[in-house]
Amino acid sequence: MVSASPEHHLRRSQLYRIHQSAGAYFEDQDGTLSVSQYAGNADELGQARRLGLADLSTLSRIGFKGHGAPAWLHTQGVLLPEQPNQTLLQTDGSLLLRLSAQEVLILRALHPASALITQLQNQVSSAAAQHAYVLPRADSHCWLALTGEYAAQTLAKICGVDMRLHKFAQGDVAQTSVARVNAIVTRYALEADTPCFYILCDVSLAEFLWVSLIDTMLEFGGQPIGLATLRQLQPTKPSSPS
Amino acid sequence: MKLLTCPLNGPRNITEFSYGGEFHHAPDSRTCDTKRWVEYVFFHDNQAGNVLEWWCHTATSYWFLAERNTVTDTVLRTFPASELFKQRVDFATQESSAKNDK
Repeated sequence: MVSASPEHHLRRSQLYRIHQSAGAYFEDQDGTLSVSQYAGNADELGQARRLGLADLSTLSRIGFKGHGAPAWLHTQGVLLPEQPNQTLLQTDGSLLLRLSAQEVLILRALHPASALITQLQNQVSSAAAQHAYVLPRADSHCWLALTGEYAAQTLAKICGVDMRLHKFAQGDVAQTSVARVNAIVTRYALEADTPCFYILCDVSLAEFLWVSLIDTMLEFGGQPIGLATLRQLQPTKPSSPS
Repeated sequence: MKLLTCPLNGPRNITEFSYGGEFHHAPDSRTCDTKRWVEYVFFHDNQAGNVLEWWCHTATSYWFLAERNTVTDTVLRTFPASELFKQRVDFATQESSAKNDK
């Protein structure tokens, strides 16, 4: 497999040196570089189903805040959950997290062709006029995905919120402390029996959180996994809103 | 570990919160005298009994109010600041209108 070189890309993860030393193969997609998979793990799909950690930091995301944000997002055809700390899957596969009554975060789908974020980015000037202010989250936060049957047990070691699957449902959001780092955690729908938690934290703490999570995962045999593997676990078309 | 209930996020470990001091309504900085302003900024009642306090959930930077008994250290209730502040306080407008008054 031929790997793209992070040194020659402007849009790369803050964690790329760690990925390189772990034997990562990088893929270039629309000018951004993500880890496709890692060398030396013959069964990365099985790893993801057991316990895996993926770095999605180079995928696009955007946020909006302000007392006019919910109304403006409605005019853009965005679906909003009724309550804060809930998510709603959009028609293009993007995931919207309602962080408070007046703040949202939108994460693109794992598969290419999420149009919503591009559409909203093009409308930012009209948003400000209606008291909806853009938050460029792509550079402020790192974005990790913790997958597999031991994911909840891994989080139990480093997070005070009960994230066992029967307590922390699909679509729930917790803004809390993970390994003493302020983080946003939500459950995302992969294939039916593979739990997945998205974890976002301040980008300056990305390296600390990655190393902490990998260390925490050792007890359960956890390993890093690539985006190509994660995509195999997600249906191309979202079945229904979470 | 003590727990505190954030009105936005629910019960969380106390380590996720910062204490923000006693709650007092701010005097109008344009009309109050210096003594009153100094009392508001620096002085505290330090009352034994039920008090109203500012708290912040640091993971979300969400400020809210808590009614707490300082003798028993029991939190009676927590609620969003929007229960007391019904509209935005625009300090910039106040300052610019004060300058125009001079």
